[in-house]
Amino acid sequence: MTTTLIEAKPDSKNVEVAYPPSRRGHLTDGVAVAALMAAVVGMLTLAVVNIFTAASKGFNAWVHSIGKLWMPGAEGIGPYSGKETLALVAWLASWVILGVVLGGKEMKLSRWLIVFLVGVGIATTLIWPPVFEHLAERIAGH
Amino acid sequence: MDTLHDPHEMKEASTASLVAVVAVLIGTALAFTLATGPFTKLLGAGAGAVPAAFHGMMAFLFLFVGTIGLYLGWRLMVGRIRAFADLQLLSVVAATFSFLAIVAGNWLYIYYRAPVPESPRSVFLKTVPEVHKIFFEFKEFGALFTLPLTVCAAFILWRYGAQILDRPWLRYSVAVLMGLAFFYLVVAFGLGAAVTKLRPA
Repeated sequence: MTTTLIEAKPDSKNVEVAYPPSRRGHLTDGVAVAALMAAVVGMLTLAVVNIFTAASKGFNAWVHSIGKLWMPGAEGIGPYSGKETLALVAWLASWVILGVVLGGKEMKLSRWLIVFLVGVGIATTLIWPPVFEHLAERIAGH
Repeated sequence: MDTLHDPHEMKEASTASLVAVVAVLIGTALAFTLATGPFTKLLGAGAGAVPAAFHGMMAFLFLFVGTIGLYLGWRLMVGRIRAFADLQLLSVVAATFSFLAIVAGNWLYIYYRAPVPESPRSVFLKTVPEVHKIFFEFKEFGALFTLPLTVCAAFILWRYGAQILDRPWLRYSVAVLMGLAFFYLVVAFGLGAAVTKLRPA
């Protein structure tokens, strides 16, 4: 039995051109870290705001009023509109701030990717209804 | 006379011709569909039929793009990607569909939680409250996670460009973002489809 070796031919016309070499100057890892951390700030904001809306009717009404400030149909959507708004604002505002602060810095991306994953894990746990309802009850003192 | 074709002289298909072909194919499919199934029957009789159709379509297209993105993200992670430009484009398309699915989802949510006895939320709370209190609530928040994840992936892919290919942790980061976005998409899609089967809006 013979073995056939198939080799890629970079010069062949049939081989897809993958990408042109980058002509940009070196970008620091801080730019990516700022984007990753801002995303997780937005996700955590959504999770935390949701816990407090479940804990407090007053806060829930305030969050709904934030959504009603700009979102079409917010009256029908309910407090969810405000939760989306606050998460969006936290995400974009933190991205701008972190972009300015971290943008020019060389950072260890591997470490920050782990921080990001831990943050995503926490946010996911906090939006699981049995968890956030339990926390809301404890905050409300029931 | 040389009868062999020189590959350099072959003209590539233009973007306009590609768009025209896609338009004809979609138009033909729609014509056949509408001719064989009345539009109102296709959408359903519920008050939220139109937003449900938009939300479902956007979510389905996002699932399609997200699946390819997951594969290309894996190829990027292992450093064996040829279609890097495609991944860049796909990440923007995925972020766009995520946004549109969320917007249509907001619109549909109005009908889902309408304060009337026959709305899906009212029915679930009266009959099987777990469907709303656990599955739907987890879905509505998890679905939102797809937007920052896909936007972040698209940003890194475009901002760094081909530099990513020589920097392993940037490659891993994008692959993780695409993978997580796919995970939340599938969770939201699956739970949304289940809720729709139980009680259409």
